[in-house]
Amino acid sequence: MTFGLSLTNYTGGPNFSFTGLKNYIIAFTSPIFTRSLWITLKYVIFAVGFQILFALLFAIILNEKLLLNSFFRGVIFLPNIIASVAIGLSFMVILEPNNGMLNQLLNFFGLPSSRWLADPKSALGTIIAVSVWQNFGYYMIILLGGLQQINPCLYEAAEIDGAGALRKLISITIPGLSPVLFFSFTMSIIGGFKVFDLIYVMTGGSEGGGPAGSTKVVVLEIYQNAFQRFRFGYASAQSVILLIIILGITLWQYRQQKKWVTYDA
Amino acid sequence: MMLRKMKLKDKNTLRKSLSYLLLLVVTVIILAPIIIAFSNAFKFEADIYAVPFNLIPTNPTLENFHALLDKFPIYIFNSFKVTGIIVFLQIITATTAGYCFSKLKWRGRDFVFILYIASIMIPGQAVIIPQFLIVQNLGLYNSHTGLILVSAFTAFGTFLVKQFFVTIPESLVESARIDGASEFLIFRKIMLPLSKTVIATLIIFSFRFFWNDFFGPLIYLSSPSLKTLPLGMADFANEYYTYVGPQMAAAVISIIPVLIVFLAAQKHFVQGTMSAGIKG
Repeated sequence: MTFGLSLTNYTGGPNFSFTGLKNYIIAFTSPIFTRSLWITLKYVIFAVGFQILFALLFAIILNEKLLLNSFFRGVIFLPNIIASVAIGLSFMVILEPNNGMLNQLLNFFGLPSSRWLADPKSALGTIIAVSVWQNFGYYMIILLGGLQQINPCLYEAAEIDGAGALRKLISITIPGLSPVLFFSFTMSIIGGFKVFDLIYVMTGGSEGGGPAGSTKVVVLEIYQNAFQRFRFGYASAQSVILLIIILGITLWQYRQQKKWVTYDA
Repeated sequence: MMLRKMKLKDKNTLRKSLSYLLLLVVTVIILAPIIIAFSNAFKFEADIYAVPFNLIPTNPTLENFHALLDKFPIYIFNSFKVTGIIVFLQIITATTAGYCFSKLKWRGRDFVFILYIASIMIPGQAVIIPQFLIVQNLGLYNSHTGLILVSAFTAFGTFLVKQFFVTIPESLVESARIDGASEFLIFRKIMLPLSKTVIATLIIFSFRFFWNDFFGPLIYLSSPSLKTLPLGMADFANEYYTYVGPQMAAAVISIIPVLIVFLAAQKHFVQGTMSAGIKG
């Protein structure tokens, strides 16, 4: 149905007509839309990369027997239960460009302050950092579940063979974890393409995406076209493009997984 | 030999200290913004951006919470209502569908199940426009009913429940059938009591999701009297964008219920997430 709508110039009224692929042509020639695709892609690459990296690091640390283990687990998972709106509001205060707490902290250590969300150069990076803060705990818990499925005998055997920590990581942990890593990557990528709440709240609500459009991701562009300008046909075309990109990446990943995912640990 | 053992022990202590150091740093980074929000909620506007920053408010005040009194009680009520009904409906639809997919045999079952799974892959935003137009044409725009109906089914939850039901022995169901129990009776008296853990997981997942959901309410609700907490909070922040104190108070209020659920059910939260990942 989205696809059907994408071929029309429907704007919510009783009259609309079939316009063929015109919406797609407009989308791909629109600098705003192509830029939003590019911004989304940058967001996905960095957010997913750091989320999985931190998740893996702390999953490995917390898989050891340490004091206060479940406390740390709970703390790292905690941001995940908080609404993005609340997170966005709290961080906006901390990131205030003049006397915000983060700038005060930087100045205290003699480092220069930044304008964070107010500067087109740093706004997207700042939002990526907040989303990593919010989400990596979720993937950490999933990876931790995967680590606990790995047979400890494998590590003992490797130690007897004289394998070092890095060797064990590459030869046992990563292959043993690969199905769960694959799941985490897939979920994290899909989540990344859907990013909306944080950007809506932190960059100015329904007119968000600023400063200077530097954080305008695809979903925000779709939202603005559909629910503010009521260009349902055009927004549907954009949704279809987003859908194709996500399905394409998921399928590609699914094929790739045969190369690195092993199902018998 | 002795020397090697000593070295190994040194290395282990070093690794442990490094682990603790990293954990300490990450704990501070994660807790700091939450604690700062709590602290700011009790400050006067002028003190929030004071230099140097005070973690403990010098003149604590409840004024920020007073500012919320006329609007937030209704947002909180709406959030509880919508979240409660959605979670309840999702449990019913996910468990009954899970039963159909695991213990009943019918033509095309596996095919329909694959369609179900495929729908998890499709991002909600891709179907939101037709969904919105359907809701609008049914006259349910700007009502809780519309929002609740589009959220009543959960492909993910169905998948989770089905995977769990498959582990319940077929012989149990068979013997009940031979004794003449109806499918509904089997479902209610045998399957449901056995699946408390998976239902608890589902409740936690849905509660967290819909309590925090922003996109759905943003699209389906427009009257201030219908708005849920995250949406009301975002609106409020837009309206009062120069007053940070009340915003922080609102953020704190929105966190508290889900924080209580989290602390009470932390074990389930964590284990539910772990098993979701492994089964996926």
